Amino acid sequence: MNPFWSNIFRSSGYQETLAYFLSTVPIFSKLKKRELSFLENIVHVRDYKADEIIFEEGDIGSGMYAIRSGQVRIYTRDENGREIEQALLEPGDFFGEVALTASRPRIASARTTEASVLVGLFRSDMQDAVRKYPAISAKILLGLTRVISDRLHQSHLLINELKRERGQS
Amino acid sequence: MTDQSGFTRAQVILLYVVLTAAIASGIAIFSSASTITNMLKTATEGLFLPILISLIAAFLLDPVVQFFERERIGRTGSIFIVYFLVSILILTLLMLIGPPNWKGMLQALKADFPRYFGRAVEYINGLLSTLQRHLPFIKSYDLVDKLRASTEELFGLVLSQTPKSAMRIGSLFLLVPLFSFFFLRDSRRIMRGLISLTPNRYFEMILDIYDHVSWQLAHFIRGRILEALIIGIVVWMGLSLTDIRYAPILGIIAGVTNLVPYIGPIVGMIPGLIIALVDLGMGGQFWWIFCVYLLIAQIILDNFILIPILISRVSNLHPLLVILAIVMGGKLYGVLGMIIGVPIASIINIAILEIRQYQRTFSPYSRIISTRDEYN
Repeated sequence: MNPFWSNIFRSSGYQETLAYFLSTVPIFSKLKKRELSFLENIVHVRDYKADEIIFEEGDIGSGMYAIRSGQVRIYTRDENGREIEQALLEPGDFFGEVALTASRPRIASARTTEASVLVGLFRSDMQDAVRKYPAISAKILLGLTRVISDRLHQSHLLINELKRERGQS
Repeated sequence: MTDQSGFTRAQVILLYVVLTAAIASGIAIFSSASTITNMLKTATEGLFLPILISLIAAFLLDPVVQFFERERIGRTGSIFIVYFLVSILILTLLMLIGPPNWKGMLQALKADFPRYFGRAVEYINGLLSTLQRHLPFIKSYDLVDKLRASTEELFGLVLSQTPKSAMRIGSLFLLVPLFSFFFLRDSRRIMRGLISLTPNRYFEMILDIYDHVSWQLAHFIRGRILEALIIGIVVWMGLSLTDIRYAPILGIIAGVTNLVPYIGPIVGMIPGLIIALVDLGMGGQFWWIFCVYLLIAQIILDNFILIPILISRVSNLHPLLVILAIVMGGKLYGVLGMIIGVPIASIINIAILEIRQYQRTFSPYSRIISTRDEYN
């Protein structure tokens, strides 16, 4: 479409809202509009400058982040303290979700590579929500479980494959 | 033209002018700052009590509001429902029991007070004279007269202030529901706004600490108020079984003073015991009243039932801190300050304890130490 017209017929701004962004995050993808607007009220939107540390390996984690804009580098350090990049995350990706249900030390560090906006969902808010709004919280937590069990499944498959390879060699 | 120090005259004058201006503006800023603080003080003078009461009301009503909120009613709607229910409750209570005749009771108390006090003083005098008979080296001390003067002054002040403060009480009826409405509705948003100001690096930590502290505080405040309410009602009921007058007032006194640990219950007991002694004599009823105060209200109810249930995890204040809090509160806000000084001190104590606890469990060093322990 001609940019002039697309500018006029732009969808009513919903795509720019926080609720729409949240619905694009896999954990929250099954939530309805009402539940998304609830979620909107318990997340924290944080602005980060470029090269700002979000958390470091060994910090006690208290929640997950989703990237609304910008880029985040996940890394660990080897014995010499050099950074080993584990992943480079783009808008729409999320990380740190394991800390949402239990306070465990972070297993990797996260740092922004450019100015970024992160949306954080933290355990204390989640616990509060579980007490006050069990139904909606259950849906959010189910989404989290779905994502985590997907990963578990994949890593199982990977382990099996590795085992088979070792058995062959 | 230069003088010896190497400055031109113009420079010296300029320096002089600048220094004078600096000093003058410093003084001006200082004085205006003090007037500003004065203005702030006068402006906020009458607000302390309404804000305190509405905070307490908000803390008490919050669980009820949450109950309605769970039924998918908006927060504002739930607050209105709770307000409606509470006003209906108060109205029905007033209809059923009828308002206790506060005014008559106060007036009777005003008339009776000198009599009670006189008898108490007589009793103390008797004690003193027996003491002197046994221990003659004790000089007769004018304690009784001093006590009488100051107590009568205090009591007269309380009574004379009551009609004056009727208007303030009226404004309380207006302000407290209004304030607590906004506290109930927006406290979360306000606190979130404040927390979001913290730098990114400490944000998670601050959020966690805030969560712990606020949870503890809510429990502590709710527990304390419920405790005071229950103690007050039990004392009222217990006293109503006897012929003693002013049972409602004595119940209120017992409940309110119960907010102060160690000293409060004893102070709250004294007026009841004096009235019982003067009106009823040293009979069975006096001992029943004594039992109500000490055994039923304090030992059985408070120590064995209420404190373990309501205020379990919260540590107690050191007695020295309690006394300090009472003295400092009294200096700041008089009798009211004495009563609320201790709860406020415990609130600060809880906050400090929680933060230290958090640091201990969650600091990276403690993890290193604990892993080191595993190797040994």
